[in-house]
Amino acid sequence: MTTTTPDISLPRGVSDFLPDAAAKIGYIEAKIRRVFELWGFRRVITPKLEYEDVMAIGLGEELKGKTYRFDDRQTGRLLAFPPDITPQIARIIATRLKAWPLPHRISYSGRVLRQTEIQTGRSREVFQSGVELIGLDSPEADAEMIAMAVEVMQALGFDDFKIDMGQVEFCRGIMAASGLDGKPLEYLREAVARKDTSAVAKVLESNTVSAESKRELTALPRLFGGREVLDEAERVVSNSRSCAALENMRQVLSILDIHGVSDFLTIDLGETRGLDYHTGITFEGFVTGLGEPVCAGGRYDRLTARYGFTAPATGFTFNVLNLLQLLERRPEVEASTTRDFLLFNCCDDRREVLEAARLLRARGYKTARDIIRRDYTDSLDYALRMNIRYLLIIGSEAEEGNYCVVRIRDGRKIRIGRELLEQDGLIKFIEESQGDD
Amino acid sequence: MNDYITIAIPKGRILEESVALFGKIGIDCQELLSDSRKLIFENPVEKMRYMIVRATDVPTYVEYGSADLGIVGKDTLMEQGKDVYEPLDLKFGYCRMMVAEPANLAKNDDPASWSHIRIATKYPHVAESYFASKGIQVEIIKLYGSIELAPLVGLSERIVDLVSTGETLRQNGLVEVETIADITTRLIVNRASLKTKHKRISEIIQGLEKIL
Repeated sequence: MTTTTPDISLPRGVSDFLPDAAAKIGYIEAKIRRVFELWGFRRVITPKLEYEDVMAIGLGEELKGKTYRFDDRQTGRLLAFPPDITPQIARIIATRLKAWPLPHRISYSGRVLRQTEIQTGRSREVFQSGVELIGLDSPEADAEMIAMAVEVMQALGFDDFKIDMGQVEFCRGIMAASGLDGKPLEYLREAVARKDTSAVAKVLESNTVSAESKRELTALPRLFGGREVLDEAERVVSNSRSCAALENMRQVLSILDIHGVSDFLTIDLGETRGLDYHTGITFEGFVTGLGEPVCAGGRYDRLTARYGFTAPATGFTFNVLNLLQLLERRPEVEASTTRDFLLFNCCDDRREVLEAARLLRARGYKTARDIIRRDYTDSLDYALRMNIRYLLIIGSEAEEGNYCVVRIRDGRKIRIGRELLEQDGLIKFIEESQGDD
Repeated sequence: MNDYITIAIPKGRILEESVALFGKIGIDCQELLSDSRKLIFENPVEKMRYMIVRATDVPTYVEYGSADLGIVGKDTLMEQGKDVYEPLDLKFGYCRMMVAEPANLAKNDDPASWSHIRIATKYPHVAESYFASKGIQVEIIKLYGSIELAPLVGLSERIVDLVSTGETLRQNGLVEVETIADITTRLIVNRASLKTKHKRISEIIQGLEKIL
């Protein structure tokens, strides 16, 4: 008789994360969270379901279109899986925490769902770990976000990365000063987003704009690079909104100089990819070798007001799966998937082995019992396959009170006294021993 | 590999023109024109790497960051809508994306009155969004080559395709009725590369900009 396999397929764009991958994600999230904690941020946990109309208050058109929605059978209202956590936090601040003193330093770590184009096969679940700093409009708050982003990147072991800064008001100022609207403005925005100077020139040919605007718009797609970009921008820009944005960026940069992170910064004044709720400094983190940003964020001074409480705010979030892609082969991340001891019992009595396990765990070693009955070689194979570093053998050949540790990496056997389980430096002793074949 | 600049280039005319263009700004990649089956070429002195890929794959390699730069026709970019920077029009490979139909249909045809038309094309996304923006329902038939054949055998009434001299259209009794876009070859750049390697990439962009 043949057994039929049940259909076990998953919807596109979601995955199971098996123990090794999950351990690595846990390692990355813990590193990020540690930096957040060190800067005085406290975690909130937001619900995985919201009413669609409540969620929509805080979402721009793009994310609204990517939201999963369905009926709530109990109320008949539409429910949504949040596609972004920031609007949820804005809602919490504006309602639950509005009587608390400012500023709020809030962090979160969770998953959001977003529709993606079916054929791309990209993940529809986005793992986000981020922070929101609410109640401050000063440049120091913007600088704090960027300095934290740099610190997380360094804590994760990156040295070749850039935090690319923009100021959405700079772009908006130039667009507004052009006096264009409708289709031409839309074309212009798309052309600037692609840095397509020829398309910008085309729009300018077929529409009349002032000489100043023409100069600003022509320069915009090329205003990216290092600090020198600000001087270049100052030369070409005359509208007051963009000038104020430049001044704001200079202030933030001067604080970032004090934080000592300036080497990691690039500037892109033509960047318009920020979310619709952004109102000032925005930034994205890039690492060589990955086409997408690993973190993104910026100022959003008008979002909490949509939920009834006006407060300036800024924040950013890491895309944990993008980080995983970059980090998964690194030794320190690989190490997060290992366990320390597998206990192999050769005695008839289990008292001794359970006591040894207790002692090892008390010292903080990840210790698993090989409860299944199998021979020595099979146990070694199991330990190797399961990424366990040492096999601890209890009983039989060992004399009373003495155990044998097998270093799985090279198969060397090391005799250890029972008392060593209760002392510091057990791993060091095992690692430094010559051992026998 | 991280300090290399990698460029994805399609085989054929684009390759020849690109090699000539890079030559003018002091980037020597003549070896790409050698009759070799190699898909990847490295120049350790200039720290440059070149990949030979299919034209339709260029935006994919660049979007994912496997290549920092790419050279590709605007038609492919319009069809795929990838999130890449597109800073330079290289001004070669000029042609037009247009709607064509058999000459005898065109005699009494008024594009303003089209509704529910059938279009054969290599560019389903471009065709769909073009007609959608005019409020016209279309049935798209995706083909991979010899698009001009479709109206001749009744597969579709009209086609959306590229035309440069118009000779193929003429020989198959088709005429151009509407132009969707002018097409040229573009330099595209991966988003992360533009930030993390901005000095070298800016040099290439500025160098090319000067000679174009």
